Amino acid sequence: MEKQVSFDQDFLEKLKTIANEGVNNAASGFSGMVGRKIQFNHPVARLVPVLSIPELVGKPDDDAVGIYLRFMGDLVGQIMMIVPHQKALELVDLLMDLPPGTTQYLGPLERSALGELGNLCGSFFLNSVAGKMNADFRPSPPAVMVDMIGAILEIVVVTTGGISEHALLVQANFMDGSRCVEADFWVIPDMNSLQDLIKKNSVA
Amino acid sequence: MKETNVGLGEQAVSRSPDDVLVAYGLGSCVGVVMIDPVSHTSGLLHAVLPKMVDGMNYGDANPSKYVEGGVEGLIAAMVKEGANKNRLIIRIIGGANMLIASGLTRSFDIGTRNIEAVRTTLSRLKMPIAVEEVGGHTGRTVRVYVADSRVTVRVIGEKEREI
Repeated sequence: MEKQVSFDQDFLEKLKTIANEGVNNAASGFSGMVGRKIQFNHPVARLVPVLSIPELVGKPDDDAVGIYLRFMGDLVGQIMMIVPHQKALELVDLLMDLPPGTTQYLGPLERSALGELGNLCGSFFLNSVAGKMNADFRPSPPAVMVDMIGAILEIVVVTTGGISEHALLVQANFMDGSRCVEADFWVIPDMNSLQDLIKKNSVA
Repeated sequence: MKETNVGLGEQAVSRSPDDVLVAYGLGSCVGVVMIDPVSHTSGLLHAVLPKMVDGMNYGDANPSKYVEGGVEGLIAAMVKEGANKNRLIIRIIGGANMLIASGLTRSFDIGTRNIEAVRTTLSRLKMPIAVEEVGGHTGRTVRVYVADSRVTVRVIGEKEREI
């Protein structure tokens, strides 16, 4: 039988506060890497039906880039950054200090640059949360996927969907004033390991 | 023409010539298309995982989410709409391995397991597969045009093509 996991509103609010600092830290790392001020909206923490995940960003067959990593340790989970394809090309120009419009194709070098960005944002986020929760997390190397949004987000579905019908999703968005940078930043903690960690630390 | 979105863990069966059944962006998921050319019945399943985790049972769960329950459910729905089980032309699409990164790839190869689950289930039911457009590392959008029984696949950066 499915192990039922539930979170009350009060807990989700506290989680949002912790995630907010994490995303703030990730935005600082992002800003440093691209050399411009990156803003973010306040993250939302909510339970979503797993099967609806591919339809939460744009249309499922729109072209996009997904930068994905997992983390292990006191808490297990996944981090996914989703960038519309055209925005990813512009982002590579920023990352590699090229004139706007230079990057037309995402080859190994360009993907590696995007992977590094995901790695940095993920690590900055996790470091902040680990400090708050007195825990230790180890991120995996990043994987970069250039494909349809639906196909990219299925990774999250198959990882969580075998065990639970719902996933806890922390969702934020990075942007800058000129809208040159636009990226969704998702953190999907494993709900059972999150509850265990909270019990241990009495964060809630 | 009216596009019917067949989302994750869903199936659709139609005999209406206006209908186009679509599963967008299949990655590791697998799409199973069944067509009865005589009764002009078309069906599409969008299955997510090969089978339930041991210890769980279908009970209230959605059988279309899993290959095993979904394939049998689609056959039943096709027959209910007037199709003949022995005439069904079956195509399977998807089952890609989306993650090509050291340390992540093997544990995530649900795509290959989904393909195997379709083959095993259909073999058990003694139903042949006519076309396979499976595996690889890219997502696919599949469309089933009920009017003329055409089935097309589109991958990123390419045009829709018939299979």
